[in-house]
Amino acid sequence: MQHDIHLYGLNHRTAPVEVRERFALKEPESFEQCMRALDHAVSELMVLSTCNRVEIVVVALAGQDVTAQVLECWARVSGRPVAELAPHVYEFTGIAAVEHLFQVASSLDSMVLGEPQILGQLKAAYRGAVEKGLARVVVNRLLHKAFFTAKRVRTETGIGTSAVSISYAAVELAKRIFGTVTDKRAMLIGAGEMAELAATHLVRSGVKSIMVANRTFERAEQLAACYKGAALAFSELIPKLPEVDIVISSTGSTEPIIRARDIREVLRKRKNRPMFFIDIAVPRDIDPDVNSLDNVYLYDIDDLKEVVEENMVQRQAEAERAREVVHAEAHKFGLWLNALDLQPTIVDMLDRGERIARKELKKTLKRLGPDQDPEMRAALETLVLSISRKLYHDPMIFLKRRAQEEGGGEKFLDLARRMFNLDEETPPPDAHGDRKPQPGSGDDSPEILPED
Amino acid sequence: MEFVELLSYGAILLYLLGSGGHICGTLTRKEKPKIAGGIVSGLGFVLHGLSLLLQLIQDPSLALAASEFYLSLFSWSLLLFLFILWFKLKLSFLGLVATPLAMFMLMASRAATAANVHLPTSLSGLFFGLHIGCLFAAIGLLAMACAAGVGYINLERRIKTKGRLTGVWAALPALESLDRANHLAVTTGFPLYTVGLVSGFVWAWITWNRFFSWDPKEIAALGIWLLFAFLFHQRLALGWRGRKTAWLAIWVFGLCLVSMLGINFLLKTHHSFA
Repeated sequence: MQHDIHLYGLNHRTAPVEVRERFALKEPESFEQCMRALDHAVSELMVLSTCNRVEIVVVALAGQDVTAQVLECWARVSGRPVAELAPHVYEFTGIAAVEHLFQVASSLDSMVLGEPQILGQLKAAYRGAVEKGLARVVVNRLLHKAFFTAKRVRTETGIGTSAVSISYAAVELAKRIFGTVTDKRAMLIGAGEMAELAATHLVRSGVKSIMVANRTFERAEQLAACYKGAALAFSELIPKLPEVDIVISSTGSTEPIIRARDIREVLRKRKNRPMFFIDIAVPRDIDPDVNSLDNVYLYDIDDLKEVVEENMVQRQAEAERAREVVHAEAHKFGLWLNALDLQPTIVDMLDRGERIARKELKKTLKRLGPDQDPEMRAALETLVLSISRKLYHDPMIFLKRRAQEEGGGEKFLDLARRMFNLDEETPPPDAHGDRKPQPGSGDDSPEILPED
Repeated sequence: MEFVELLSYGAILLYLLGSGGHICGTLTRKEKPKIAGGIVSGLGFVLHGLSLLLQLIQDPSLALAASEFYLSLFSWSLLLFLFILWFKLKLSFLGLVATPLAMFMLMASRAATAANVHLPTSLSGLFFGLHIGCLFAAIGLLAMACAAGVGYINLERRIKTKGRLTGVWAALPALESLDRANHLAVTTGFPLYTVGLVSGFVWAWITWNRFFSWDPKEIAALGIWLLFAFLFHQRLALGWRGRKTAWLAIWVFGLCLVSMLGINFLLKTHHSFA
């Protein structure tokens, strides 16, 4: 193996939201430019940045330590000292990096286990890397295998099916009330992991618009930008309520901020169109009496927990199965990665040639019958083996030459391995389905042709 | 057996198959059996409509005098509104209620012996047609709103009390969709009911020279109209929706049933069709 895969990242588990915001790498270009300063060490690069995580995949020359460079660039681009960033960053190398990326793609590493949004974000990140010419053989294969693994996990395990997170349950409830949320407006009051998740789910279900209210207006603006919504000053909250159908509240207030008498007025203004309140705060933000009003539904954290609980155990078992799938796929990828070098490729080629030759020889000898001259047998054997070796001779010379050139000839190695089927993969019937745009697959699956 | 009879037996059979599709679809929570059921009962609906038309053409006065004809017409209009609601509001679950109901009514209509009484010539004309057509359409809509209302009230209580929404509860449409059936029954059904009632009075005035003859059915109809008007007003002017309007729709339809079945069987009325 000429190259090592490194993965650096931070997520909701290793970094609090302030840190994630500071080091979000929203515009990865400057980071990538900074990394290019090292051009000989780093051959491929991909940056994934979402509200909840940053993942940086670096393919570097074997034996090179690029950690310092990555952290340096990351911190510089974010305008912060390295010391502030370093404690939150995790690093994986080789097969561990592969496994981590597969887990991210399969949403096993997400806040909401099994939520499919991350896959779309990963596809977008990959597309960006391909467009900028930063993704080549290793990243191409890595990401295609990541998407493949995610698909396997989704079809073979029940991880994406039932309401397992509180926020997901909240959105499902909203659908029982409204049917569809695509023509509904939502409001997010306060911040916090669970409230933001519920908002994320709503946005993904296609809610028409989202407003974000917060005691600090800047924070509201930041969150609103995350959901492409509008920020709202805290004082405008009640006057804006008649416009919204779904309210998610999660403030640190010790007093209820929405009372039944406020809502009575609001309902009159909106002609009793139903409202759904999700109160995630403890102590509660919304007066429980609100639930007794007609056409108003209030669920607090305990109510939602009950909805979710029974699904939890099953989900954990599914996650276990999903991890096994990921592990198996990562292992397969590791085999490929190790073989992606001149020597193993040549060995595999000759080996394959010999196996084919011997198989055909056996068939022919069987047809010729048992009473054949041993000399004749030996001659036949020599013949088939030398033909197979000769046939692979020119491709081998070609690969050797390319291997000495700049860039290590990995793409030719990869090509040869695929052309001669050295990894013995039986292509699934839809093997090339990802090469063309699939009708109706929406924009969360912008598949990219592996370039080069 | 006459061709007309054959048509209605065919319709009954298709409704039976259609009901099966709806039941399967609801139990398995899949759309496909429901759609199949809808298509099959749609075919039945066409046959049914044809048989009604033929009966009318063959002998209008005989058809219009027989109670079985009205029962059959009512079951037909029930399905008509099922299909409208299905296409407009995607309320496929109503098929579960409407298709078997239509089947039973059509069967009852077949079973009922045709009263071979010729209708007086007075029973004809535009106003009589309007009277029957509009009222039956309105009652068909009300039947749908009533079924949707029962669904609404139960699902709403379930959501309010934070019960688990699995099984049957997951098969019901969302609250807003159920409420939309009520909205349609109110906005379309009430004007139809009003037109039906007024045309009845006009027809009575033309034929008998009096608007109102204190027939029990007429009194009941006025009562229904008042309650329906209340629902109409509260919904459109005061913006009532949801639980209260669902209950009102159930009450209005309940009164219609009482007036259709109870009064016809128990009291003497000139609306007995026979």
